[in-house]
Amino acid sequence: MDNVDAMKLDGSLEEPKVNYLTNGWSLKSWLLTKDHKRIAIMYLISVSAFFFIGGIYAATIRLELLTPASDLLESGTYNKVFTQHGIIMVFFFLIPSIPAILGNFLIPLMIGAKDLAFPRINLLSLYIYWIGGALTLFALLQGGVDTGWTFYAPYSTTFSNSYVLLVGIGIFINGFSSILTGLNFIVTTHTMRAPGMTWFRLPLFVWAHYATSLVMILGTPVVAITLLLVAIERFAGVGIFDPAIGGDPILFQHLFWFYSHPAVYIMILPGMGVISELISNFARKRIFGYEFIAFSSLAIAVFGFLVWGHHMFVSGQSVYAGLVFSFLTMVVAVPSAIKVFNWSATLYKGSISYDTPMLYAIGFMGLFLIGGLTGLFLGSIGLTVHLTETYFIVAHFHYVMVGGQVIAYLGGIHYWWPKITGKLYSEFWGKISAMLVFIGFNLTFFPQFILGYQGMPRRYAAYPEEFQVLNIFSTAGASVLAVGMTLPVLYLVHSLIWGEKASANPYMHPGLEWRTDSPPPTLNFDETPVVTWEAYEFGEESGMDLDAARRRDEVSPAA
Amino acid sequence: MAEHKHDDHYHPPGLQHQFEDMGQQMDSVTIGMWVFLAQEIMFFGGLFTAYLVFRSKFPMAFAAGSNELDALWGGINTLVLIVSSLTMALTVYYAQKGKKNMQVALIALTMLFGVAFLGIKAIEYSSKYEHGLIPVDGWNKRIKEGEHKESTAVRLPFETKASAAGTEEAHPNPSGDFQINKEKAQPLIDIAQKENFFTESEKIGYFDGGEFSWEKFTQKVQIFFWIYFVMTGLHALHMIIGLGIMAWLLYKAYRGTFSQDYYSPVEISGLYWHFVDIVWIFLFPLLYLLGRHFLAGGGH
Repeated sequence: MDNVDAMKLDGSLEEPKVNYLTNGWSLKSWLLTKDHKRIAIMYLISVSAFFFIGGIYAATIRLELLTPASDLLESGTYNKVFTQHGIIMVFFFLIPSIPAILGNFLIPLMIGAKDLAFPRINLLSLYIYWIGGALTLFALLQGGVDTGWTFYAPYSTTFSNSYVLLVGIGIFINGFSSILTGLNFIVTTHTMRAPGMTWFRLPLFVWAHYATSLVMILGTPVVAITLLLVAIERFAGVGIFDPAIGGDPILFQHLFWFYSHPAVYIMILPGMGVISELISNFARKRIFGYEFIAFSSLAIAVFGFLVWGHHMFVSGQSVYAGLVFSFLTMVVAVPSAIKVFNWSATLYKGSISYDTPMLYAIGFMGLFLIGGLTGLFLGSIGLTVHLTETYFIVAHFHYVMVGGQVIAYLGGIHYWWPKITGKLYSEFWGKISAMLVFIGFNLTFFPQFILGYQGMPRRYAAYPEEFQVLNIFSTAGASVLAVGMTLPVLYLVHSLIWGEKASANPYMHPGLEWRTDSPPPTLNFDETPVVTWEAYEFGEESGMDLDAARRRDEVSPAA
Repeated sequence: MAEHKHDDHYHPPGLQHQFEDMGQQMDSVTIGMWVFLAQEIMFFGGLFTAYLVFRSKFPMAFAAGSNELDALWGGINTLVLIVSSLTMALTVYYAQKGKKNMQVALIALTMLFGVAFLGIKAIEYSSKYEHGLIPVDGWNKRIKEGEHKESTAVRLPFETKASAAGTEEAHPNPSGDFQINKEKAQPLIDIAQKENFFTESEKIGYFDGGEFSWEKFTQKVQIFFWIYFVMTGLHALHMIIGLGIMAWLLYKAYRGTFSQDYYSPVEISGLYWHFVDIVWIFLFPLLYLLGRHFLAGGGH
């Protein structure tokens, strides 16, 4: 403790304090660590690698679609490329991205705990992720899989000659990584909160992760068993899903979407949590309607389990079921809308600063709005018959997944980068890349709404010539997006070596994670904090009043 | 200041570094196990859904499948597991009391019941192998037609008629394919046809051009056995994991680790053990009993 005070008063450092990064340098100290922060760093590196692979597939798809003919890739290869893009991005990037990296790193810090409740299970989840990922990568190298990321029977049973079995097992294994992470978060939120950290003082990031964890716990096992059934079905040649031998392909779709629709909320809820943090903190204002945002996360988790049938409107499910699913789809839009309204209300009369993370947050609000509203188009039974299996759907879910989750992820990485690494990145390049991502993203995916509305089907390598202009726009946008995504890698890595040293609280934000060193020590806090303030409290009480800080600095001659 | 420093605290044995005290650790592991069990319910839930869908589509094929299972062995196994739940519950009780010898004895007893369950399961599985009921073609015992062969099946005094000796000769299986006992299934089909209670799916699923097709019917029974093997197989896998946990507990209990202050590992292992029992309590009637009444003279 004395050391920190000394730093603040005279600005000099005698002996750098040991933090989680400098606490041991051997490979073993990383691979056998129980520290949630080191595990998060290893997740960051692994997930980024998968994001890169998935990105290469995306680039290949956009290059193929530059021209109407199927010239770069033939149809069979194209099937594999978009399938593998989907599998890598969904199961190995989007689902673990924010929870396993930022959630892992921040939840114990935010609630004032020394670690997650089960550090060894946390490490186990990372190893499971590696094993599942390695199996999947091995399958891709062997020749890949061409069923679409949804593994629909009979593509995945009768008509597939690709490595469905191996990829299915890879994803099955990987599912347990997500289950264990969710388990850890739920228990940690229940039992590890610091004294005074009541449920309604929790940052909304933690609430969002709690809701996400519920979905992980209750949804993932179902897809795990479903993929296991597909794998065994292929292995043994007995029909469960394959209609040719007495199976029921609709059953597969029900089981698959029972998880995979809630999985959409696994992907977006943590993003919403990040945005709640960014909006409130960079507006320097207590978030508007804290309880509503907290409970809307839970509402999304609950209602999210009841809408899977809207993926099956044209699959032959009962029209009455379709009606109910359509209605519930409208209902699940309500809590999402509550969040967007509350974020907007938070900005009203806030003292907003447009730092890089805030640019991402504002971008998120616009893009998620478009993504969410077009979801309502697709949830309407009549309209969806026209739009299903077209580029409209592709554009819709990319607006939610990339425009929502990836933008929130980038915003979060930037926001907490000083805490994670103890270094400041270049604000100039950060803003440039945030702009490029926003422009490139819209240029890539907005034309796809029009293409889909005009009837261009998804999952084909060739298309009629009249669609070419918009496809060129889309590919051009993808190039801008690629530059925007590559820049952060460069300047963030640059900041690791040449970056300015970050103070414990470079933004003067009130969250508990800012009340310990950057980077934090291995046990997070020198002593267990006692929380006496509400969440997002920028007043005198939490010590985060900027005016008061300025007055204090003027009095103190050393500053 | 000094009294807050955790380094100065008395550090009880068994307390992990991330927790402040034993109470917090106890709460955490207990909630953790319940959350894990919620996950397990969903895991088996997917299988139960598949069972439900296919059973409601093809009830007579499932009844035929049920009749091929040995309800006596299944019933004995149910009893074995219920008793093992009792010994497990008593283990928790004696762990809380800190009585080492009783813990060791009861854990050993629980393990014994677990092993007995798996042994009986193995007998059942091998009998399925003998009778061509493994739902994968070529994975069953191969018997050449016409050639008399001594059965290697384990014979037990209370073996039911259906699985008794002699059926192999009646149903030769030259290439080890999945096959069903047609004489045994015939009455089921007769009842359903006479009283006209085939479901819509069955009217399509069993018939070929208006004629009853054994081939198509067998395919549906094969689905039953496929579900049977996946469900009981995963359940058995959970039993094996449970036995691993018990072995670890046995070692810990033998070392005298558990006391009034520290018994959470016993308690949460008990939760797991009971859960695995409960899964079986559902599996037994669904797989072994439903549909049996058709042949016992009952109606639909």
